[in-house]
Formats: sequence, C-alpha cells, structure tokens
Amino acid sequence: MKKQPNKSALNLKCFCLYVATKTVKRMETYRVRGSTIKDQRKLLLPLSFGPSSSSLLQILDQHIEGQYARMNRSGYELFVVHIDVFLDPADRKDASELLEKYKSRFSRHTYSSFGLEKALLLDGIDWKALDVPGPEEAESKKPATERLQHLLGSMSSATSRADIASTLLTRLLVDVAKRHDCESILFGESTTRLAEKTLTETAKGRGFSLPWQVSDGASPYGIGFNYPLRDLLKKELVTYTSLTSPPLAELVIFQEKSSNISASSKTTTIDDLMVQYFESVEENYPSIVANVVRTSSKLKSLTGNDNKGCGLCGLPVAEGTDGIYGWGGDQNSDSRPAREDDQYGVLCYGCSRSING
Amino acid sequence: MAPALCAICNDSRALIIRPKNHQKLCKACFVAIFEAEIHHTITTTSLFSPGDRIAIGASGGKDSTVLASVLKTLNERYNYGLDLVLLSIDEGIKGYRDDSLETVKRNAVQYDMPLKIVGYDELYGWTMDQVVEAIGKKSNCTYCGVFRRQALDRGAKMLGIKHVVTGHNADDVAETILMNLLRGDLPRLARSTNIVTGDESSEVRRSKPLKYAYEKEIVLYAHHKKLDYFTTECLYSPEAFRGSARSLIKNLERVRPSAILDVVRSGEDMAKLVPEQVTGISQCKSQKVSLSSADGEEEGAGGCGTNGRDSGGEMADMEKKLKEDEKASSREVDITSAVSSQTSGQRHDRIPIKPESGKTRKQESSRKLTRQTLGTCKKCGYMSSQEVCKACVLLEGLNKNRPMIEIEVDAADEESSTLRRNMEGLALAAG
Repeated sequence: MKKQPNKSALNLKCFCLYVATKTVKRMETYRVRGSTIKDQRKLLLPLSFGPSSSSLLQILDQHIEGQYARMNRSGYELFVVHIDVFLDPADRKDASELLEKYKSRFSRHTYSSFGLEKALLLDGIDWKALDVPGPEEAESKKPATERLQHLLGSMSSATSRADIASTLLTRLLVDVAKRHDCESILFGESTTRLAEKTLTETAKGRGFSLPWQVSDGASPYGIGFNYPLRDLLKKELVTYTSLTSPPLAELVIFQEKSSNISASSKTTTIDDLMVQYFESVEENYPSIVANVVRTSSKLKSLTGNDNKGCGLCGLPVAEGTDGIYGWGGDQNSDSRPAREDDQYGVLCYGCSRSING
Repeated sequence: MAPALCAICNDSRALIIRPKNHQKLCKACFVAIFEAEIHHTITTTSLFSPGDRIAIGASGGKDSTVLASVLKTLNERYNYGLDLVLLSIDEGIKGYRDDSLETVKRNAVQYDMPLKIVGYDELYGWTMDQVVEAIGKKSNCTYCGVFRRQALDRGAKMLGIKHVVTGHNADDVAETILMNLLRGDLPRLARSTNIVTGDESSEVRRSKPLKYAYEKEIVLYAHHKKLDYFTTECLYSPEAFRGSARSLIKNLERVRPSAILDVVRSGEDMAKLVPEQVTGISQCKSQKVSLSSADGEEEGAGGCGTNGRDSGGEMADMEKKLKEDEKASSREVDITSAVSSQTSGQRHDRIPIKPESGKTRKQESSRKLTRQTLGTCKKCGYMSSQEVCKACVLLEGLNKNRPMIEIEVDAADEESSTLRRNMEGLALAAG
C-alpha cells in the first residue's frame, strides 16, 4: 500500500489552502486584472446551508477580501440566494434566522431568499402540461405554498416529486439571476455531487441534458453555469467546514449519513440511492468519482437552433425526441398521442416521465 | 373485493403485475404483449430480412431460451422467413456446461432447430478449466468473455451465417451504460446502446432483439410458457466489477420501475453526444452502424450468470491507475517548471493528498484517448479495433504460460505490479 498522508496529520492551513486553491483556480475568469470597475460582474451563489455551498461562500468571501487587500477592488460581487424548499412556517423561520447569521458573518455580499412556490409565478413554464393553473388564473385562489404542495403531491412517486422540485428550483434560480443582472450562477456542487448527478440524470432518462448539467459554461437559459468546487470531493468539503477558521460547521446543515436508505421504502428516491452509492465509492475509490465527472463532461451538446425548449425544464429537446412515447423502448406503435396542432409545447423525456409516470 | 380484471382484455383475472409498468394483466395478455413488443422492436429496426439465416447464441439460460422461443413463435406467426439455428459455446468448464448444454440440446428438439456446439478447445486450444489451471481464478472471466465473443462469431462463420442474435436484455444494456460511465469509457457506452453491431460489410453482425425487455419479464415469460431453461451461475463467476452497476440497477428498478428503460434511453441519447474524436466514427454513422464488438467486453457475455468481468479488484485497480495518471500529469508540470529532485519536486504542498513516488511516467501514454477504428487482427484475421485482437494477445500470454493481465489483490506487492505494468506496456507496444 502506498503511503497516504493522513489528513489529520497535515497542517490544517495547508489543507484549507488546498481546498481554496482548487476552487479559486476555477474562478480565473473573474480575476481583477484586466477588468475595470465598470464591468465588475455580479454572480449568483445559491446557498442551501449545506457543507458545499457554505464552503464556497467562505472561500469566495476570502478570495474577494484578498482581491480588495491587493488591488482595492474585486473582479466580481456575490449575490447570495437561499431558496426555501420546505413549506412549513417553522422551517422557514429557522432558515431566515440562519441566513441572518450568514449575513453577519459574510457581510460584504447581498442576500435574498425566496420560497420555492415563487416558481409557480414563472411564465416560462408550460403550466398546462403540468395540469396546474398558470400564474394569472391562480393568483387569487389558494396560497402559493398550498398549490405547490398540491402539485408535488400529485406526482406518482417520490423520485418524480424530487425531480420536479429540483427542476423548479433551477428555473427559479435562473429567473432570479436574470432579474438581478447576474452573469452566471456559481453552483456549489462538488465532484462527488456532480458524479451523483451524472448517474441520477441518466437513471431519470435525462442523459440528453448532461452536457448542460455538469459542464462549466453557457447554459441554454442564456446565463452561465459554473461549478467552482468541481475538483473537490464532498468529504473534503465537509472536512473543510470544521478546519477553516473560524469554523463554518455551526452554520452548516449536514445531511445524515445515507447508509440506512432502503430501496424498498416508498419515500426513497433515485437521488437518495445515488448519494448512498457515491458515498461508498468516494470512501474507497475517490479517483473513480472524479473520473465519472471527467467522462460526463466530455459529452457535447448537439447544436441545433430549431430545437424547442421543454415546457418544464426549459432545456432544448431535439425534434421528435420529446415525451416518453414513440421511441424504440416504447414498443407500442400507436402510443404516441397525435398532436392536433402546434400550440402544445413539448416536454422532454425526463419531465414527461416524472409527470406521466 | 372482486378480483382485479386484466387491464387489456378486461375479461380474465389479472394474475401478473407487469414489472415494467405495474400494469395488471392476465397470463394470456402478458404473453401476447411481451411477444408483440419484441415483434415491434424487430420490425421498427428492420432487424431481419426474409431468407436470413440467423444463429441464436444459446447458453441454455433464461434469456437465450426465451429469445429462441419468441423468435420461433414470431417467425411462424408473422412469416419472417428466417432460418433459425442454435449456436452454443462450450467453454470447457466441467459441471457447468455439461448441464446447460443438455438443456440446449433439449431446446433444439423442442424448437426443432439445428444446433451447433463450438468448443474453446477447438477454437483456441484451451478449455476454460485449463486456463484456470494455468492462471488461477482471479482474472479468468476476462479470458472467458473475450474468447466467447469471438467464439460465437467464429462459430457463425463456420456455419456460413452472417447474423448472430444474443439474449441481452434491457437490464444488461442499462447495467453496461452505468458501468461504462463508472469506468469512463464513452466509446463502449456509445456502442453498447446500438441494437445492432456490425453492418452489411461485416462478416458477422450481432443484434439483441431483447434489448428493451426487462429481465423480470423474461423470467415471467419463461415461467408462464413453461420453457425449459437452466439456472446456475458460472462456477468461476467472481464478484464482478459489473456487480456494482448491477445492484445499482436493481435498486433503481425497485424505486422507480421505469428506471431501467430510462437508463437505456439516456444511453441512446448520450451516444449521440459522444464527440467524434472519442469514438473515431462520425456521429451520423454511429447511430446506425458501429464497430464490431469483436474484441470488446462492452456487453455482458451471454450465458454467464454475473457476466464475465474481472474480479472485484478491478475497481481498486482502476482507482490505482487513475491515481497514477493524476500523479503522472502533475509530474509533467514538475519537469517543465522545476527540474528539481523528486523530494523537493513536492512543491505543491497545496496538493498534499497525492503522494509522490517514482515510476509513473510510463502511465502517461495510457491517458490519451485511443482512437478506435475497425480493422482486422493481423494474427488471426478476425475483426478487431486493435492491430492484434484481444483474444490473440491473451492467447499469446497463455501459450507462454504467463498471463498478460493479472489482477492482484495484494496492492502492496510493488514489484509484481511494476512487472505487470511493464508487461502491459509491452502488450500495448506490440499492439
């Protein structure tokens, strides 16, 4: 066995520097040098309070501080956004209190938070396809949180619920970013998370969307997607939260170990299974985790401008590949519903699977 | 409560919950829809033409037995005009094939089809039992898998047949897709999603008509049609690399039954997104035609219970190799930036989890993407994307009484691993 330096034996500073260096290297586009104050860029940082996004905030906060110290200005500013996915008022209160703590600790940045139900107001979504009333009609009826609960509750499985919720979350983030003139979204996803995502999206029939889900660069939404933590493992970031000073751990909400997830439970999702799977792979084979991400990042999106956007996730759907019917695996010659006219939008395979079961 | 009625005929009692979509069906309707779906796959992909002679790769296991039964039924029902032949491979594993070959022999009588059995000994001069005797149980599945792929095609060639069908099902295809994502092998991922490999110009094409059929439904079909098949795992079947992907697929299926089909769909879509420089074939072409899988292990080798892959050490092996590649690339930087000694070459105290050690340079070449193009092996003339096909490479090693690829469990054994890498280097250089 080769000597593997034990992390606890390392100089703590070294480890934190390692984590920060790997992250900052990915932020090279946002250096101060060469930029003028005028085009200081605004970047949206989605903060879930988990170890990864919290670490990203801490690292970039220090990065910006360093830029100020050296050049008296910074190459970018952060707009930190928390999306409340829990609908319970008590959870919401906890979340807003926690966000206040972040604000006071990293006071340089602007903060905002939104409930996921705000996604119901988005007009880029084909609400008819989801069988829920659009923003205009629904305004006066039930409260938005209830409508969201109803929408998610109507899904046929826990996986579909989680899938639709995360799709709405992405669309809401994009919308918030655009309305606040952000150039890019800095996702706090680690290598491990991106590997999970590669397999999760594959398992949900969203293989076509991988080029936009794991690679840095322009997204089809007309805004950049960046993953500055893409070279760090989740376990490294968890370690970072307790080693950085002052420690972040007290601000972070850690997920429970997923080892007791059972595939026979009704509430278990595909996402849960992948988290569990990569937790064990990361433990023993960290390079394989990184290799999965390198591999999926090699996939190239097909260039075709005439592709319609999916009515729910908004990603381009190649002609004739929409929906779950009418492809080889459907094996039923007359299952593809006839389209009367073009007024119906298309749904991609993955969204269609979640909605139609 | 009255018993549920079949969702299709609304007449008989529903006795079966379809694994694929949880539809409640009666026995007759299940059998009918299973056959109709295979028929749909065959017709929409124009898999066969009238007058074709087709060899069914038959192992006596459930998949190939169901395939033979369904093809016979459909051939008669829809007048495909096919001439069906059973083709079996005898790997020469005592106690394993003895029984399954008996099953195939009975199938030949039951389905009234001619049967051809080809032995590893006549093809390669080695039975699997002899291979195991020579190299031990550790990596014998590599040999078995590589030999078997060629064996089917060579057997078909002997019979003058240009098309072999295998019993690979949707679970196998999905598993292969996930496995190739884990192994970082996009060319194989792309190829494995095709229903047909090889084209008109190939000597032997291969196809998998059960590509979209769930394993559970195949078992149900075999059960309700009372088919005579053989269940046992290969005696040498190890804890396979595939096992990881396989158990993941099974769990996915439990959480969301459509997941197997969804993975297959994702794989088909991703195949179109694999850049040309990775596959070595143009994209428009790759959708219809692809390299022959002659020397690849991209699919589960039919008939071997857990599908012949290396032992569980394979993941550890790959981890080790990836780590070395990573080190090699960091050393590349070292050499250009600072020609310092190795110890001070550890200038990256920022990258402390990567230990330095010597002998990493030779790994660099293997990092490059290998461009794969179809050719023929210069030794045996068999289809291969390498100059010398994998079977010939393995055979050469065997004949020297020295295995080429040895999977070690003991990673501490530095010397032999260096030796192994050197030998792999040699094999690469020769190829």
